[in-house]
Amino acid sequence: MKAFIAAAATAAGLAAAFAPAAQADQLDDIIASGTLRCAVVLDFPPMGARDEQNNPVGFDVDYCNDLAAALGVKAEIVETPFPDRIPALVSGRADIGVASTSDTLERAKTVGFSIPYFAFKNVVLTREDAGIADFNALNGKTVGSVAGTYEAIALENDVKKWGAGSFRPYQTQADVFLALSQGQIDATVVTSTVAAATVKSGKFPGLTIKGDAPYNIDYVALIALRNEYGLLNYLDLFVNQQVRTGRYQELFEKHVGGEAPDLTIAKVYR
Amino acid sequence: MFNYTFQWRQAFRALPQMLDGALVTLQIAVLSMLIGGAFAILLAVARNSQSRWLRAPATAWVEVARNTPALFQIYMAHFGLGSFGIHLSPYTSLLAGIAFNNAGYLAETFRGALRAIPATQTRAARSLGMGAAQAFRLIVAPQMLRIAFLPTTNQMVWAILMTSLGVTVGMNTDLAGVTQDLNSRSFRTFEFFALAAVIYYALAKILTVGARLLAWRMFRY
Repeated sequence: MKAFIAAAATAAGLAAAFAPAAQADQLDDIIASGTLRCAVVLDFPPMGARDEQNNPVGFDVDYCNDLAAALGVKAEIVETPFPDRIPALVSGRADIGVASTSDTLERAKTVGFSIPYFAFKNVVLTREDAGIADFNALNGKTVGSVAGTYEAIALENDVKKWGAGSFRPYQTQADVFLALSQGQIDATVVTSTVAAATVKSGKFPGLTIKGDAPYNIDYVALIALRNEYGLLNYLDLFVNQQVRTGRYQELFEKHVGGEAPDLTIAKVYR
Repeated sequence: MFNYTFQWRQAFRALPQMLDGALVTLQIAVLSMLIGGAFAILLAVARNSQSRWLRAPATAWVEVARNTPALFQIYMAHFGLGSFGIHLSPYTSLLAGIAFNNAGYLAETFRGALRAIPATQTRAARSLGMGAAQAFRLIVAPQMLRIAFLPTTNQMVWAILMTSLGVTVGMNTDLAGVTQDLNSRSFRTFEFFALAAVIYYALAKILTVGARLLAWRMFRY
């Protein structure tokens, strides 16, 4: 009987020693798995795009690589269109989203946001022959943007407020530019970085930037599951370290050019 | 692992908006069936005709409509025609794409139904003194529609489901568009998609049950 109890105790001890720790959170899981899977939108240059060899490139891709290096794991880019960012996280296809996600209060009910890692200014992008001089000229015109983005929601609200013209939400940024260049829409409001990259690319001749859109700065954050505090905490510190070490400015110069935007707001925490 | 907590209250609050979208969905599906059905009859007759000049374009239409994805047809109606300076609104593009697809499928359904009616019927009608058009209208067409009725309701269900592809051309007033809009604002993907799926199911089910009742009423002799 004693031998049986001893054997049972040994077996229980061994099982406890080798069993996975019940309290491991997603941060532990990522480190243990050796891979960080980032959901990145590759239709949104210069944040995310593909080069001639079809490799993912851009600010968000480099940002994911930096984070993986900090965690001591390999980075894996999971291409994710804008509307699929949450399903990608929830279904376990990606660990985090480095996907220019605007930190709205509505979305924060569903997903966990880090502190902002990038800030966008929005501009009016139109065709040279559309006769639009600035944002006010959009009143009564047909405009469009990528469905569900910060600027799309703001623009659609403006169109409703004006009571004239119409708004069309497209699924991808490429479709918006195609619609704009074909004359299906007269203008779009888009982040200044994307507008500049598109005009510079020469893929859509005749497109031109006509001034700023009067919208608040669009702060975007890294996203993870809402209840993964360990991971979200790590992401906050990582964003802070990127700025502190000068890496944020370095990446900004590489992909956008010029002075990186301020990520803080005066007179308030976070 | 499905790491998600459902918040149904938010989704149910959006239900009236989604039902409005469902009405637009139904409207497009019905219109696309009427337009597609009218073209389908012409195509079916053209494909059965002796003239090569009638047969060739009808065959081409049916081949493209049946063997390419509906998504592609809707996309081409919007962006394809757009590159030639013909600008259709998202609503019209969606309607045109689905009507084109419906016409292709229904033409084959009607052609099959036409083939199922013995040529002797037409000959008998003509021998009674009817003209060719009269024989088609009074003798052949009613029988054709009866044979084609149930496959046609199937196509109607397919038309309802095809409307969900409108989001690719900037459609945001139908059920899929409204759902996608709500989803991207709040990120409550699964609640809104689940609710939309139930509404699509209900639309399709009401339609098929209605069609069965109608068929029972019309064809029970």
